Amino acid sequence: MTQSSSPATFSLRADQAVRRGPAVHFLADGVSVPAFEGESVAAALFASGWRELRRSPRDGAPRGMFCLMGSCQECLVWVGSRKLPSCQVPVAAGLEIETMAFREQRIG
Amino acid sequence: MAEAQTSSVDLVVIGAGPAGARAALRAQACGLDVLLVDENPDAGGQVWRPLPLGFSRAGDASPSPEAVQGDALRAEVRKSGVRCLFGHKVWNVGSGLRIDLIGPDGVVSWQPRAVLVATGTTERVLPFPGWTQPGVIGLAAATILLKSQNMLPGRRTLVAGTGPLLLAVANGILKAGGEVAAVLDLASRRDWLRTLPSLAARPDLLWQGAQWQIALRKAGVPVLYRHGIESVEAVAGGLRIRARQVDGAGAPVASASSRVFEADAVAAGHGLVPGTDVTRLLRARHRYDAARGGWIADADAEGRTSLAGVYVAGDGAGIAGAAAAGAHGEMAAVACAFDLGRLSARDHARERDRLSAQWRKPARFGRAMAGLMALKQGAVAGIPPATVVCRCEDVTRAEIDAAARDGARDVNQLKAWTRCGMGPCQGRTCSDVAGALLAAHVGSREAAGCFTGRAPLRPVSLAEVAGDYTYADIPIPKAAPL
Amino acid sequence: MSDTSRSSAGYDAVVIGGGVMGCSTALHLAQGGMRVAVVDRGPLCREASGVNAGTLTLHMTRAALVPYAMRAWQMWMDAEKWLGMGVLATHVPGLTLAFTEAECELVELRAKARREYGAPIEVITPARAREIEPGVHPGLLKAGYCDIDGFASAYLTGRAFRHALVGAGVDVIENAAVESIDSGDAGHTVRFSAASGRASLKAARIVLAGGVWIENMLAWLGVQIPIKVLINQLIVTERIRPVMRTVLSVANGLLSLKQFANGTVLIGGGWQGEGDRDRGGLEARPQNLVGNMRLAAYAVPALAEARIARIWLGLEAETADAMPIIGDVPGVPRAFVVGSAHSGYTSGPFMGRIMAQHILGQQPDLPLFDPARLLGMPMPGA
Repeated sequence: MTQSSSPATFSLRADQAVRRGPAVHFLADGVSVPAFEGESVAAALFASGWRELRRSPRDGAPRGMFCLMGSCQECLVWVGSRKLPSCQVPVAAGLEIETMAFREQRIG
Repeated sequence: MAEAQTSSVDLVVIGAGPAGARAALRAQACGLDVLLVDENPDAGGQVWRPLPLGFSRAGDASPSPEAVQGDALRAEVRKSGVRCLFGHKVWNVGSGLRIDLIGPDGVVSWQPRAVLVATGTTERVLPFPGWTQPGVIGLAAATILLKSQNMLPGRRTLVAGTGPLLLAVANGILKAGGEVAAVLDLASRRDWLRTLPSLAARPDLLWQGAQWQIALRKAGVPVLYRHGIESVEAVAGGLRIRARQVDGAGAPVASASSRVFEADAVAAGHGLVPGTDVTRLLRARHRYDAARGGWIADADAEGRTSLAGVYVAGDGAGIAGAAAAGAHGEMAAVACAFDLGRLSARDHARERDRLSAQWRKPARFGRAMAGLMALKQGAVAGIPPATVVCRCEDVTRAEIDAAARDGARDVNQLKAWTRCGMGPCQGRTCSDVAGALLAAHVGSREAAGCFTGRAPLRPVSLAEVAGDYTYADIPIPKAAPL
Repeated sequence: MSDTSRSSAGYDAVVIGGGVMGCSTALHLAQGGMRVAVVDRGPLCREASGVNAGTLTLHMTRAALVPYAMRAWQMWMDAEKWLGMGVLATHVPGLTLAFTEAECELVELRAKARREYGAPIEVITPARAREIEPGVHPGLLKAGYCDIDGFASAYLTGRAFRHALVGAGVDVIENAAVESIDSGDAGHTVRFSAASGRASLKAARIVLAGGVWIENMLAWLGVQIPIKVLINQLIVTERIRPVMRTVLSVANGLLSLKQFANGTVLIGGGWQGEGDRDRGGLEARPQNLVGNMRLAAYAVPALAEARIARIWLGLEAETADAMPIIGDVPGVPRAFVVGSAHSGYTSGPFMGRIMAQHILGQQPDLPLFDPARLLGMPMPGA
């Protein structure tokens, strides 16, 4: 998990032209992440400084969201028993997601 | 499916973007029973994405043209009563055109008499060392992030690649309060000037382009033509990007020195690749057309493919831009209605000619932009050997070249020998570049071919397909002999 | 392509069909001193040999073929030694599973039949099976266990054989479709067409190794032997966490399941799709996909969450008595045929060896399967 180290917390959210939905929290790997209802999980994680979502299969290199349209399969997360591109998962209050490595380590 | 009901309909339109939505509306107007499907929650495709549910427009600035067009299209679809299945993934299309979908309630199948494929494009990103880093996203991806999620890729973003999205993204970032480290364009100013005639009918776009240039200059953003990314590396606090000069083919100019930029995000994209998953699965005939984005279904001007009952429209049929996509979608719908006997020859001819005229000018512009975005062979040649090409399987350029030297003659053999294209993205991210790399060995893109289409069209889980069952529900055919 | 001098002098043997059996035959012939060419209408090992499930099991091999499969199993495990390049052949035990009383009987029957031919298969309790394979369904009633089992990555086969054949001096002629064969006392003329045009090869001997197309090839020589075509569906998942560590099958013969080192799980079992000999595999049958997946997710419940990356089809050959066709082509001198071993990938390398031994005039390690027996034998259910 790569957290932003910027102290004055520059917000990646651009609110000039939109009013976001309700502010909510969702759980990612057991960690509470602030977000807004309706945002994609990938974007919400990205905005909170959480850019690494998985490791590549052979080289173990860090990977994160890439195409943002559900094609590249880089931003996959577990939502219950389903593995979904997080760029296609909308944030809702009470949502719980797990990254690939976290679930694998949890299940053992 | 064994238990799932299969419902009948005249036409299924796959993809509810500018082409597909308009096609569905037109088909319904022609009296066809239509079903419009899309994996997204609403119509609009990639270019006219709706705001996330719960968001609303605010602020003093008037909505962008895309927002207006997208909202209008969605309203029209809703008002028309066209049957829609949003949030559903098409995972298979049978040779008899049966469409198998997975949605929130499980599997559902539809049996149409015809299928109209309007699945748009995916983005092409030419690999460079460091392109798989978190924080490096596509250019079209950055557009989606800015326009739909209303989010910046970073506090300071480097924008690189080719095509009209470069300036759009750079300006979107500035408008959203971010910084742009630089804009790197593989094209030259002259390449851009050559597109001017196509813009003659779009003074609004010319004006917008000029405004964007001014804004970038005002913000002190370096705009480097004939430049590409040499490498991106993670450093303390962000990313360090090395930029290098390239020639007309996109190949690095050896003598030139590189420039270094610091940023915390990179948005890089080198064009769009038509989505041919469905038509390849159906084994329609395809042809390679670099100016249209790459491999496309071989289709007539109205979108009829080599398979009866299968039509293509929009950028997925060959890039001509969002503005032309609607007319193309309508043309294909009209052709389908005629072919299904629901339109007289006279009406068909009249509509076809009218829509064709409507399509011509925006297509001219769209194709000029497609020309800017076409794959640059020199840029492919410049990919260093150790660079990952297939992201899903970590297959490098060196491994692809080695397989070619060992005798791999087409991309399917390359796939078997290297696993390139065997991952969950099913080759969508790597196939164009892999094909270009192999073409250098075997002589042409045609010789290198394209990946054989396979179900599922998107990854689906066993649970999703299998549904609820007991052991007794498993239909056991005759057992094998002893 | 051979140079002019070679083609005028001719080959000692031309093998038609570059799958495992054809390639293995060619390699052993070349090692035996012959001048050999392999011709295939496509790239090497891209039909059944490249797209099968790669199962190296005795559980699902015909009982009478167990001795052949055991020898071939060792050849696959040693592939790097004699091919120079491996196919990631992996030795793991194999379990064949019973979930119903009827299947329990089948497990006993099949184990006994194979033991008679030398397979070290024992019937074990579900508790013991779960020790060996913890991920198996708790409803397991009985299992057959064999230590000699495993799998290979079939898609690597072409590259490995190509390497070995070229290294052995065999002429590999790919993307060249044989159209006819003229056979006479002076030998054979094999006519083919390729992108560069039509050409022919002269051969003292020909070996028909065309898998499901052996029926067509025999017809070129005026011999009628029907070969049944099975259109097998295969399913592979994306990489997932380790969920199994053996090769699994079900006693009714309708499931093959394995997880590769890279984490992908391959699901097979001979469920039939649409296709035929002329057009190849066309598409899967949805109810058969559902059936295969249900069986897989039943046997290993953790598979339910796995996402499918790809579904494809492979053509498998079967003779009228479900035994291989390996030996002399009836009535045609110096013409041979090798194929239709059912689970042919498993035993392929060894079948090629005994074919070559026979052609070289040596005593084959194990008996061949006389093609003449199939003359006039009706295909069951035809």
